Amino acid sequence: MAEFFRYISLYRLFLVQRLKALMEYRVNFIIGAASTIFLQASSILAIWVVMQKVPDLNGWNYDEILLVYGLITLAKSINHMFADNLWTLGRVYIRSGGFDRFLVRPINPLFHLLADRFCQDGVGNFLVGVALVIKASIALDLAWTPLKLLALIVGVLSGGVIFIALNLLTCVTSFWIVDSVPVTRLVFDNHLFAQYPLTIYPKAINVLLTWIVPYGLASFYPASYLLDRDLGYLTWLAPLVAAFLLFIAYRAWEVGLKHYNSTGT
Amino acid sequence: MIRRFLREPPKYFAILSMVPKVFMAYQVWFWVSIVLNAIGMAILYFFWRAVYGSTEVIAGLTLNTTLTYILFAQVFRPLTDIDLIFEFGYGLREGGILHLLLRPINFQAMYYFQNLGTLGVQMVLQIPMALVATFVFGLKWHTDPAVWGAFLVSALLGFTALFFFVYCVACLTFYTTEVWGLGVLFFGMSIFLSGGLVPLAMMPDWLQAVVLAIPFSQALAVPINILTGITPLSEVPRIWLSQGLWVLGLWLVSNLVFKVAIRKVTVQGG
Repeated sequence: MAEFFRYISLYRLFLVQRLKALMEYRVNFIIGAASTIFLQASSILAIWVVMQKVPDLNGWNYDEILLVYGLITLAKSINHMFADNLWTLGRVYIRSGGFDRFLVRPINPLFHLLADRFCQDGVGNFLVGVALVIKASIALDLAWTPLKLLALIVGVLSGGVIFIALNLLTCVTSFWIVDSVPVTRLVFDNHLFAQYPLTIYPKAINVLLTWIVPYGLASFYPASYLLDRDLGYLTWLAPLVAAFLLFIAYRAWEVGLKHYNSTGT
Repeated sequence: MIRRFLREPPKYFAILSMVPKVFMAYQVWFWVSIVLNAIGMAILYFFWRAVYGSTEVIAGLTLNTTLTYILFAQVFRPLTDIDLIFEFGYGLREGGILHLLLRPINFQAMYYFQNLGTLGVQMVLQIPMALVATFVFGLKWHTDPAVWGAFLVSALLGFTALFFFVYCVACLTFYTTEVWGLGVLFFGMSIFLSGGLVPLAMMPDWLQAVVLAIPFSQALAVPINILTGITPLSEVPRIWLSQGLWVLGLWLVSNLVFKVAIRKVTVQGG
């Protein structure tokens, strides 16, 4: 437990340093955070335009779709803010030899990698996610029972862990192939399916998004529960799947670390 | 050297094994980008099928016309990929832009032809996407040479107009020195404003006016409308004229902007 608190306080130190560096270039910080808002605005505007023309999308109205979209954006923002550095493991750290620095310090190298860079662009995603969920909640007049609130929190946090675990699992390949970004993108981009209700897709894509790259557990399933379209045990599956994926990903990281040999740079 | 190699062979084998890894990375990206684009295409395909689930015609467009429009927009997406913001930004940061500015050739023309060449290469690389659109999602291609001719001229004019517009925005990096956020912001705007996600005909009048007033749509929505048949051939001369005026106007503005912005250039390194 003492170790846990040590890491929490270490993270705080890393974060303060990172924020100091970011605040040196305030305009850049704001443009960075705002950039993701614009990126999301494009897709949301497209949904808005289309939903002005049709009453629903396979039985889901505009605000219900916004809820699904908002939940996946929130889950993604957790990964974006706190684990974005996984993307750069191969390109920035392994290729340059900078990763060796992590191995000679008395802290967990994975923790060091994650804490090295808090990503401000994720703040934009977080704000968009919060705004969409609040907007949808008001428009749909959602009745927030304690259980629904729990489903929301569990869904978003588990979703964030699913994002991080899948990115970790794929970024580990950089220990062998150096640049893991293509592999990570191959998995990561599947989350785009989960921006919409899974019912619009064929069965195979539903299976993919529920059981193989389970981004659907971060959006469609909790949204269905909040909208009283109960999908049974699948609603509460997210934390178990998230924990399982994180366990597998961390094991893979340990194996990768054993195989790591520096590039010699 | 030989003695050292014999003593520490694993180190040198590690360096040797790096070369194919770096080389393979480029090959891998080519194939991965096909899958990523196919994912994007699949999402749009199923989304639009669901949209048409309860209605046959939206804003005068049938499901088939809309899908043709959306799939063509995906295939011809490189028309809006003009990468000047990062080019200028990193050129400033690393100092390379200084050498380019000092060369005895027209700075803007050099970048125009560089981007035109890139467009050509990107379109060749889009062939797999065109095949996916055709054989997986059922895209039907026009066979009328007049339509293709009209499309190609419109696409070139639209691309040129957009180039001059992006050139103006890239000059902002002379002031901000910020690249990543500006680039992402611009990319985010281009996705919707190019008309690649939703056909212009479906937008409310005010939004259509906004989208048409920003040149992203000139490079994608306008030519794709011709290719899809949403814009009849009889209207093409008027569209060419309008795009020609865009090119002329933005060429003048971009030169003016560059003249003012160049005074602010501060090369950070190099």
